[in-house]
Amino acid sequence: MSRAVIDVCGRQVDLLESGEGAPLLYLHGFADVHSVKEIWLPFHEKLAQRARFIAPAHPGCARSDENKDIDTIEDVVFHYLEVLDALKLTTFDLIGTCVGGWIAAELAVRHPEKIRKLVLIGAAGLFVPGALIGDVFMMAQPEFGSSYASLREMLFSRADDANALEMFPDGKGELEDEVRRYQMLRLSSRIGFKPPYFYNYALRNRLHRIASPTQIIWGENDKFVPRSHAETYAALIPNAQMKIVPGAGHSVHVEKPAETTKLILEFLND
Amino acid sequence: MKPVQLFCWHFMAYPYLAKDFDEKESSGWVTVPNRLWDDNKSRGLYQEYTDQLVYADQLGFDGMVLNEHHQNIYGLMPSPNLIAAALTQKTSHGKIVILGNLLPLHLNPMRVAEEYAMLDQMSNGRLIAGFAPGGGPETFNYDVPSANTREKFWEAADLIVRSWTEDGPFAHEGRYFPLRYVNLWPKPLQKPFPPVWIPGSRSPSTMTEVAKRGYCYFLSSRSHGGETHRAQQEFAAVLEKHGDKYQPFRFGILMSTYVAETDRQAREECEEGVWYFLKNCLKGHLRREGRQLTYGPGVPYIPAAAWREYLKGYTPGRKLLGDVENWDELEASQSIIVGSPETVARRIQNLIEKAKVGNLLIQFQLGNMPDHLARKSMKLFSEQVAPALRHASLKQFSEEYADLKVEPVAAEGVHESRGH
Repeated sequence: MSRAVIDVCGRQVDLLESGEGAPLLYLHGFADVHSVKEIWLPFHEKLAQRARFIAPAHPGCARSDENKDIDTIEDVVFHYLEVLDALKLTTFDLIGTCVGGWIAAELAVRHPEKIRKLVLIGAAGLFVPGALIGDVFMMAQPEFGSSYASLREMLFSRADDANALEMFPDGKGELEDEVRRYQMLRLSSRIGFKPPYFYNYALRNRLHRIASPTQIIWGENDKFVPRSHAETYAALIPNAQMKIVPGAGHSVHVEKPAETTKLILEFLND
Repeated sequence: MKPVQLFCWHFMAYPYLAKDFDEKESSGWVTVPNRLWDDNKSRGLYQEYTDQLVYADQLGFDGMVLNEHHQNIYGLMPSPNLIAAALTQKTSHGKIVILGNLLPLHLNPMRVAEEYAMLDQMSNGRLIAGFAPGGGPETFNYDVPSANTREKFWEAADLIVRSWTEDGPFAHEGRYFPLRYVNLWPKPLQKPFPPVWIPGSRSPSTMTEVAKRGYCYFLSSRSHGGETHRAQQEFAAVLEKHGDKYQPFRFGILMSTYVAETDRQAREECEEGVWYFLKNCLKGHLRREGRQLTYGPGVPYIPAAAWREYLKGYTPGRKLLGDVENWDELEASQSIIVGSPETVARRIQNLIEKAKVGNLLIQFQLGNMPDHLARKSMKLFSEQVAPALRHASLKQFSEEYADLKVEPVAAEGVHESRGH
């Protein structure tokens, strides 16, 4: 695993890269590398064994410079177009988790020609009437002074999930983990606090533009982004299949890494 | 020279929550269900509260203070400007302080500029214009993203003052509030513009912006242990850095008090109201029980580097004001001063001496405190505490700020303000 900090339009982008072969770009979510942890989780490592796995940190996250001119998802998409140019990536496979999934979908509708295959994991981004995405910001406020149980409950299948407790412990956690969590919330609040929350109304009317075969992976008990969002993505993206992972919540890539990577690798190598 | 200015601050809490509220609800803010609003009991509530402020004016307080909060039981003034308008008709002496309109919550800052200008005219020049950014709960109430709040706030504040002082129509080519035609009708009465007060919690950036503009800094902390005089020193240092000099009327603090004939009587009389305030009103705000909405990673309005520094000094689950469990702990927090006139005068006098503060904004009505007790406390304060405070502070300020030219308390009529 190598870490680099590259310059993109005068701002630094924190980059983790590992493996060889066809480029596989990964856009992270909340319970993930860059947004909590500094290094790969088992999920990423497995994928890096079979591809050139590249994971940038979103603007303002980890060591990526903040950009206070990011007001909407559009600004993040244009940032990533610059990142692609800096990395000289013209066509690649793309995986996006959660907020990263939203960014991936927005990238794909604008530049379908760049993406060979697309994987969306627990992806935000859609307006689905009657199915609001959860309020991660409210859940991130501690209860009883120091409990993050309700945040863990939202992002995982259970508040006492071992991975959840490691990433979002009660009380005081690892300082830099907590700073990364804060940075992710700050970036997310720029694009996802309004409208409430994490959707772009226009996106669902653009999904038909996605040309690549698409796999939509969802935890069976996702309490952050409801199942109907997976179904909507699957229905509106032309060449899409939906895979539900049993016994997992929103952070399916952390809770069930083996099952999730198996689905992805079979799909990518199809 | 003038003595310490004494204001009466009303928060207008919802006083009719049942005794099991703390058990059943996790917050008094944002998500507190509004089916708890009692249609029958609440009739006349705004009248009662407004009349208490009018009474304060009659008692000779230097002004009345209002503030803006939304969707909560701590303060029922989503629009303090409406109460201020009522006060312009029912009072004619004291200042009317709105501390403050929450600028990032307004789609158009000119709405604030216009309403404040109207209020200044309607009150014959008694408005003190507060601008505030709004806290965590307001972010949730109005879906206002946090990261650029500070910049948005200052663009709005500067636009408002510009509209008060510069000939219109002019174009404001703003990042957040671009407007092609800014042309304020009416104009405010006070010249060059009504005094502007800004609350802060000791961030150097807020102090700097306040100092640069000549405004008054209001320390938005309810607790006055050592931090208050340290805050004053910090502000004084920032003023000097910008070629200005500290004087007591550039600084204000919020505190609460209950005065009765004896210390013991004071505690007995205010106990229910104080504890309602601490346990119910502060739940979701300055209490760790339930879900705290005011400060935390879910309202990420400071840069990550500042958050890291905060985390280093942070003790999870440390007690906040609403977590005190008995009178001793409450007393140690130095935020609600309860006692006889002598006790209260001594404690506040001590604070003025150390913190050199010229504006005391005092909350008298707490929680579900009944009308007659709030009034009794206010009356005792004005008759037996205020004179001592005025006498001592006049002496102190005259000695410590001898070369300060401060206009004496204005008589009726147009009030000359210098922006502070």
